[in-house]
Amino acid sequence: MLVSLFVTCLVDQLWSSVGVSSVEVLRRVGCEVQFDDRQTCCSQPAFNTGYRDEARQVGRRFIEVFESGNADAIVTPSGSCAAMVHHLPELFSSDEHWQKRARLIADRTFELSSFLVRVLNRDDVGASWPGRLTWHDACHGLRDLNIKTEPRRLISKVRGAEFVELDNADSCCGFGGTFSVKYPEISLAILDQKIEAIERAKVDAVISGDASCLMQIGGRLSRKGSKVRVMHIAELLASKA
Amino acid sequence: MNHLTSETFDDNARAALDDVQLRGALRNATSLFGKRRLAAAAGLQNWEELRNRARSIKDDVLLHLDQYLEQFVANAESRGAKFHWARDASEANAIICKLIQDRGGRKIVKSKSMTTEETHLNVALEAAGMQVVETDLGEYIIQLAEETPSHIIVPAIHKTKRQISELFTSELGIPPTDDVDKLTATARATLRDRFAEADVGISGVNFGIAETGTILIVENEGNIRLTTSLPRTHIAVMGIEKVLPRFADVDVFLKLLPRSGTGQRLTTYQSFITGVKQNAADEGPDELHVVILDNGRSRMLAHPITRQSLACIRCGACLNACPVYQQIGGHAYGSVYPGPIGAVITPQLVGLKKTAQLPYASSLCGACREVCPVKIDIPQLLLHLRSEITEASVNKRRSEQFAFKLWARVMTSNWLYRMSGEVGRLFQRFVVHNGKIGKLEKAGILAPPLAAWTSGRDLRPIEKKTFRERWHSELKRHD
Amino acid sequence: MKITNAREEILHSIRTNLAASVVFDVNYTTDHAAQNEQPVPALKPNPESLVELFAESLEAVDGHCVVVEGHAETVEAIKKIIAGLRSTKLNPRRVAVSDSLEIKDLIESISSAVEEVEMTPIAADLFSFDVGISSVQAGIAETGTLVLEADRERNRLVSLVPPVHIAILDASKIFNTLGETLAALYRDGKVSQAITFISGPSRTADIELTLAIGVHGPQELFVIIRR
Repeated sequence: MLVSLFVTCLVDQLWSSVGVSSVEVLRRVGCEVQFDDRQTCCSQPAFNTGYRDEARQVGRRFIEVFESGNADAIVTPSGSCAAMVHHLPELFSSDEHWQKRARLIADRTFELSSFLVRVLNRDDVGASWPGRLTWHDACHGLRDLNIKTEPRRLISKVRGAEFVELDNADSCCGFGGTFSVKYPEISLAILDQKIEAIERAKVDAVISGDASCLMQIGGRLSRKGSKVRVMHIAELLASKA
Repeated sequence: MNHLTSETFDDNARAALDDVQLRGALRNATSLFGKRRLAAAAGLQNWEELRNRARSIKDDVLLHLDQYLEQFVANAESRGAKFHWARDASEANAIICKLIQDRGGRKIVKSKSMTTEETHLNVALEAAGMQVVETDLGEYIIQLAEETPSHIIVPAIHKTKRQISELFTSELGIPPTDDVDKLTATARATLRDRFAEADVGISGVNFGIAETGTILIVENEGNIRLTTSLPRTHIAVMGIEKVLPRFADVDVFLKLLPRSGTGQRLTTYQSFITGVKQNAADEGPDELHVVILDNGRSRMLAHPITRQSLACIRCGACLNACPVYQQIGGHAYGSVYPGPIGAVITPQLVGLKKTAQLPYASSLCGACREVCPVKIDIPQLLLHLRSEITEASVNKRRSEQFAFKLWARVMTSNWLYRMSGEVGRLFQRFVVHNGKIGKLEKAGILAPPLAAWTSGRDLRPIEKKTFRERWHSELKRHD
Repeated sequence: MKITNAREEILHSIRTNLAASVVFDVNYTTDHAAQNEQPVPALKPNPESLVELFAESLEAVDGHCVVVEGHAETVEAIKKIIAGLRSTKLNPRRVAVSDSLEIKDLIESISSAVEEVEMTPIAADLFSFDVGISSVQAGIAETGTLVLEADRERNRLVSLVPPVHIAILDASKIFNTLGETLAALYRDGKVSQAITFISGPSRTADIELTLAIGVHGPQELFVIIRR
């Protein structure tokens, strides 16, 4: 299967190992991975802040870039970006031409864990990582794309990993894009409830499918001098102890 | 008592976050209600089907609102109810004041009605020299305290037993007590005198049933039954959107509303009132006056996304599920309607100018949409309002507008995208220590978002090698 | 107050705004689609199990239930309830009863147990009565709900004002579900002028979410199911 990787602007600039791990994992399960380096962003920041014209400009660019490959699927290590791509048709609701093109792209765009489990029917990708870990359900992946059991299945097959369910794993970490900087105090208050749950779980690492949530959670853990690390599920799955 | 406004939402929120007692109360209340709602929903095998059914009934009502309203009014009028239409809040208040004055009414008992809070009815009644007492315990408490409600279902949730006891001591003269039963009994005794002498009862309406001309009101305490059966005159205030088509539709909504709001299978009492009694000797009021209120609701019909706002049945489930509401409570929103639903209907009722912060006070997590019994897509509504705000340049965020225009240029040009990464890497050298970026207060002038982020969180720096660079150098296969 | 007709203006605003939405509606298909088929009806339980289900549901909302057969047992049940209340602060001295025929038959027997029995006292007097006794028109098993219709009996205030309500419910009038009950209440294209549903004694959790039973409505609800 030929997969076109949508690595996301966040991962590209701030967390390249997530991208590298995604390629590793996809290759391990037999996919051929293509990366079109003209890609930039899915337009989520502008769309979420209400700047639809700017979102459409960037959205059109996204569509053009990914149309040009002949990949079977577009896979991204981000639930929120995958969800945004699924929103692109709505963004172009008053432009039938672009809406059609957006729909074709959206129909073959998948978040990584859901691609592995639902499309490729794989849960064991040969990973091993000794340690105690827990999972944070990132909101868009969970509620827009119904991603809940897939990451847990993948984690359950990681050799050596002891999985612990987080209290209120499905409650928001408080990031919310520009919300985190428009209302930092509220964002932190929500975040601290998540951190409390993580501390109670006494884990070595928190895993999630969205780099944005990991930045939010990891940034606070780091500020508090915590030993708990954050890891993207791609990094976990690529691990071989 | 200075009531907070939506314009100062950010300050209000900060103040709420400093209120340790409030946050504790909110945490308890919202998590308890959340658990109960979940258990109550799980008790019905067809919960999802009920939600779909309720939403499709509401969609039908809203698409034919004028017809259902006319049917409702005609049927109720044929049973003796009198109708009054109010275009806005002040018209509603004027109608109600006049109805009471024309009947020489002086002593008014009132049951909980968000709609009358919306119109600030009590202020108007008092200005006209009338005594009005709130009879719902939570509303009575905040009336004594001269505050506004902080939650749709439990208006006094922000108050402790101690605070309520102190309030009752100073206003009602009872000795201080920690006993909830004693406090409740005090309210019961005091309010019974008011019920006994009231000549007018004012209530809200949960649902107006078009097929029969019936108003349905639900409660746990019994004060609505007293308010609507003892005084000679009953005035019921109802938003235009509260209509349901058929008597049988009550089934779906009575299954969803109590479970979503408090986790109960049914609230203790439901009152179905159709017109007035036919014989003077029968029990109940002599007159029923229904005030139908628009106050900005009809405007919401103009777009499918905003129209769904009117499907709301005021259960409060979204408040309990919302991570933002859970931290700051209802007062910070500066509106009668707080929480997720408040963040979307307040701007539509009041106008975007004074409420432009509210649609941004959300992380778009979607928990509200998940619990809404009528499946209102609140995140979709928030995004819609955000785009209206930027398009109308309501919030005058020049620098933000410029930033996004720049961002779009950068994101549509490979060269600019790569360049901005390089520039970032260059400048961050000044602020990266031990592989991370710590508190950046001084950056406030140059980059407020950076200061805001780093106030409580460390920040990952831009990588020495971006993914695309690593793709080309390590990962790309040439086969 | 404005001179123009508010009703016409509001209806006009509704129609105009709905018309304006048509152009947007085409792009928004809702997937809440026609779920207007009736949900699968529950299996019809036998009358005995309806009584059991009702009692269980009532007790779950802090009501008290006793099942009796015939007039004599009904009287006994009422006397027992009153005797039980005697030792509490809800000391029953004055009893208000509704005007239903079933209740009329009981008045004489009850009179011996209390100081005073009065049929449908005026509202103002009701506040000084300790117990209200009425029959009810139906019951709903799935929620332990009593159904009162004002057109059939003057039980609206007797079941509300005194702190104790004793309700006599005919076992044959218990419906299984809310849906069935609503269908039965809407007869010949009409509903009773005032219908009240009662599910347990009055309650609130407005103070620190602590449950308090007995707010404005009765503090105690006793239901006597008569077979």
